Amino acid sequence: MDAFADWLVSTPINGLVLNLAWSWPTLESLHFLALCLLMGSLLIMDLRLIGFNRIIPLQAVHSLMPVAIGAFAVNLITGMGFLFGDPYTYFANWAFWFKMSLIVLAGLNFLVYFTKVEPVILRLGPNDPTPVFAKAVGVMSLVFWFGVLSYGRLLPYLGTGGG
Amino acid sequence: MGFLAWLEASGLAEWVRSSIAGYPSMIAFHALGMAIMVGLSLLLDLRILGWFAGIPLQALQRFFGLAWIGFGINFLSGSALFTAQATSYIVDWVFMTKMTLVVLGAITAGILQPAVAKAGPGGVSGGMKAVAGLAIVFWIVAIVMGRLTAYL
Repeated sequence: MDAFADWLVSTPINGLVLNLAWSWPTLESLHFLALCLLMGSLLIMDLRLIGFNRIIPLQAVHSLMPVAIGAFAVNLITGMGFLFGDPYTYFANWAFWFKMSLIVLAGLNFLVYFTKVEPVILRLGPNDPTPVFAKAVGVMSLVFWFGVLSYGRLLPYLGTGGG
Repeated sequence: MGFLAWLEASGLAEWVRSSIAGYPSMIAFHALGMAIMVGLSLLLDLRILGWFAGIPLQALQRFFGLAWIGFGINFLSGSALFTAQATSYIVDWVFMTKMTLVVLGAITAGILQPAVAKAGPGGVSGGMKAVAGLAIVFWIVAIVMGRLTAYL
């Protein structure tokens, strides 16, 4: 892990992230804006999956998926910017690894949604109730992603790290 | 002693500043409420502007209700955070700009919520679309200013 961190700080991206006064706050602002879009679109999609606001057609709520995926991509890129800037602090912080684990779990939950839930719900009527299995996947999505958000914000105060 | 100095000397302010849980817990709740209020608002505003047209406008009404819960979380956590450094925040133009934009953003939500509830099949008026467009600008600048508050 140390060798990997050494490599991260040896790249020009490290200088780009650390040496310009505006780059770190810009990455943070983008990370925050995209997390709002990610959580907002997840709330609307997952709550409909759970059964809230059934006047929204299941097929229509699906149109928010590109927003969630695009927002996650922005956060993956800006998040990697932080890692290139200060890898030792993040790697030494257990809350960082906890957050990353929650993202992996959220990703696995999304795979279950994509392969098992979506094919079923897209065949339902627009305002039908969803099966219990689909509701469970929606609940887990919200639990994992709100966990990611909370641990992300608590990162600087938990574990060994600062930053 | 002025009101702000009194706030800053209060037990709440002391808890936020000095306890292990105070500042981190309030800042985490503030991020949570932000994601709910701003995340939902941005998407509801985009829907009013014509994106995601398959989602009925009337459905937005209940999500505005949920967004206000996020706003409430942030009003409470933000008030607690404010007490910790009240006298410095009040003279920080970045913080005051953020607060102005948050108030403006909340006003747009208060205007748009009843408008979408009444919307017919023809959608909302051009005026309401303008409010939704302004709302997106208010929220984006509020988030950026909020983040920059940590630097000034």
